[in-house]
Amino acid sequence: MKILIIEDEANLRDTITQSLEKEKYIVETAYDYISGMEKIGGYDYDCILVDIMLPNGSGLSLVKELKDMKRRDAVIIISAKDAVDDKVKGLDLGADDYLAKPFHLAELHARIKSAVRRKSHNGNNAIEWSNIKIDPEHREVFINGNSITLNRKEYDVLYYFMINPNRLINKTALAESVWGDYTDQADNLDFVYSQIKNLRKKLKDNNAEADIQSVYGIGYKMI
Amino acid sequence: MKLRYYTLRYLIIALLAVIALWASLYYVVILDEVYDNIDDGLKNSKILIIRESYANDDILNIREYGINQFKVEPLPKGPLYDFSDKFSSDFEYMEYDDDEEPVRLLKTVFNDRHGNPYKLTIRASMVEEDELLEDLMTALIALYIMLVVSIALLNHFILRKVWKSFYVMLDRLKGFKLGSGVKFEAPTSPVSEFKVLGQELEKVLQQNETVYSSQKQFIENASHELQTPLAISLNKLELLVENNNLSEEQLIEISKINDTLNRLVRLNKSLLMLSKIENRQFEEEENIDFNTLINELTEEFRDFADYKEVTVNAINVAQLNFTMNKGLAVTLVNNLLKNAIIHTKAGGSLEIITDKNRLTFLNTGETPLDKNKIFDRFFRSTLNEQSTGLGLAIVQSIASNYNLKVEYEYNQKHIFRIIFP
Repeated sequence: MKILIIEDEANLRDTITQSLEKEKYIVETAYDYISGMEKIGGYDYDCILVDIMLPNGSGLSLVKELKDMKRRDAVIIISAKDAVDDKVKGLDLGADDYLAKPFHLAELHARIKSAVRRKSHNGNNAIEWSNIKIDPEHREVFINGNSITLNRKEYDVLYYFMINPNRLINKTALAESVWGDYTDQADNLDFVYSQIKNLRKKLKDNNAEADIQSVYGIGYKMI
Repeated sequence: MKLRYYTLRYLIIALLAVIALWASLYYVVILDEVYDNIDDGLKNSKILIIRESYANDDILNIREYGINQFKVEPLPKGPLYDFSDKFSSDFEYMEYDDDEEPVRLLKTVFNDRHGNPYKLTIRASMVEEDELLEDLMTALIALYIMLVVSIALLNHFILRKVWKSFYVMLDRLKGFKLGSGVKFEAPTSPVSEFKVLGQELEKVLQQNETVYSSQKQFIENASHELQTPLAISLNKLELLVENNNLSEEQLIEISKINDTLNRLVRLNKSLLMLSKIENRQFEEEENIDFNTLINELTEEFRDFADYKEVTVNAINVAQLNFTMNKGLAVTLVNNLLKNAIIHTKAGGSLEIITDKNRLTFLNTGETPLDKNKIFDRFFRSTLNEQSTGLGLAIVQSIASNYNLKVEYEYNQKHIFRIIFP
């Protein structure tokens, strides 16, 4: 998969690149509006990450450009402005998602995968890992082909791990992604632990080969 | 007390003192003039009588006043008499009034043409002092009332006219709110003092407005600029953690840095939120159905409440609708819900009552909170270092943006109430 990052902040650009390359993505970068336009004009990408505030132009105009060219690249806006206006405008212009800085890399991965999946429409959207299979379309989970029942939040947690397998997930990243704004206090992180305990039990009871391990202090990892 | 009554009060008292003083002086002077006049008349009569007595001896035989206003009494010859005029006041019976009336008497001694001494007493009816005093008092009271009434009326109209621009200025000042975007404009006034006052007020308020908005802008920009470096630090740590060659101690240390950075992110987001609310950047409004919103949000908190063993109960008494920004409505309810659940001990309960124009959150708790401080920025009732101390400040800020009232009271339970207009 090919990803283009258009971000003027060199440090952030490098970090995102490193993280994505670890996931075996082919990453290209642009640092301003003009170089971004050149890259877009030259190649197709599976996903384009674009910052709104760029030197010599707005990321939103890039998004509009892409829409006008009827391109099928998935577009995710990453911005320091967590402004509702920008979000709405960006999505109206054809962006697939909007991620406010600062974000967790795991969250970025999840968003990229979702955006690309939604864009591709090639029938098989199922996500598989070891003997677990998730059908995001119908929010169904299968272990060894047998459907299992999870409640809404358990499903969201499992989905997050399935999209980031073998990756150390920060507990705050998980809490923010699944429970959103509703949890951001210290004792809520114990709460995340208790929720994961339930999920682990369900996976184990259904003979899942994958397990969610807790990494002390940091978070969790599905192996 | 209004300015016009205030000045009038002093005028009335001062006028009373002035008129009283003036009245007593006037009384003394008038009385003196009256006596002087009467005495002159008596002296004139004396000359006429003595001259007449030289021509006509009959006069020397008038022993009683009768129709004449004098009497003559012979004195024994021999001793040396005082020939000077002596004036005195006395009371004598008068038929006209059937009463004792004040009279002025002139007593003197004279020699007739034969050299016999006589005592001459001439009388003249005199003004009644008490009546004069009474009349004077009545006249003065009438004068006083007339003066006060006319001064009050003049005062009323003149003050109203003169101070008109001042009152207009006061009204505008009352309606002025810093950061509301409405500029204070002083009314035009013909009075130069008010003109200067108006100009100075405009200047001071304009300066305040500038300072206020630049301060708000600064907070917003600062929080904004912090986002990118925070993002870089957090992401770098994330990458670092993914290196599998770190020891457990190192991981724990990184985790602590991570938590601290996350706290900074939350703090920053809350500050950004606060300044955005104060800068009125949440413009879009829609009609919010609070009953539905509360049901949805309580559902979102269900897992967390269950985990904390807090029973949450949403009670709909009546339908509550209000037009405001959706995001702010969610934040408002969210912060109060979160606050209540976090601070309720296991086994406790939280009730959210939605009524026609009020939203009440009741949660169990043992000690009342300081109601003067809980809505302050960075005030924390607990030692929870993960709390930003901004949640309720945001609630307060949203509420004042829409003229809602936020109240807290303690009555066995913590009661947070939002009253809609």
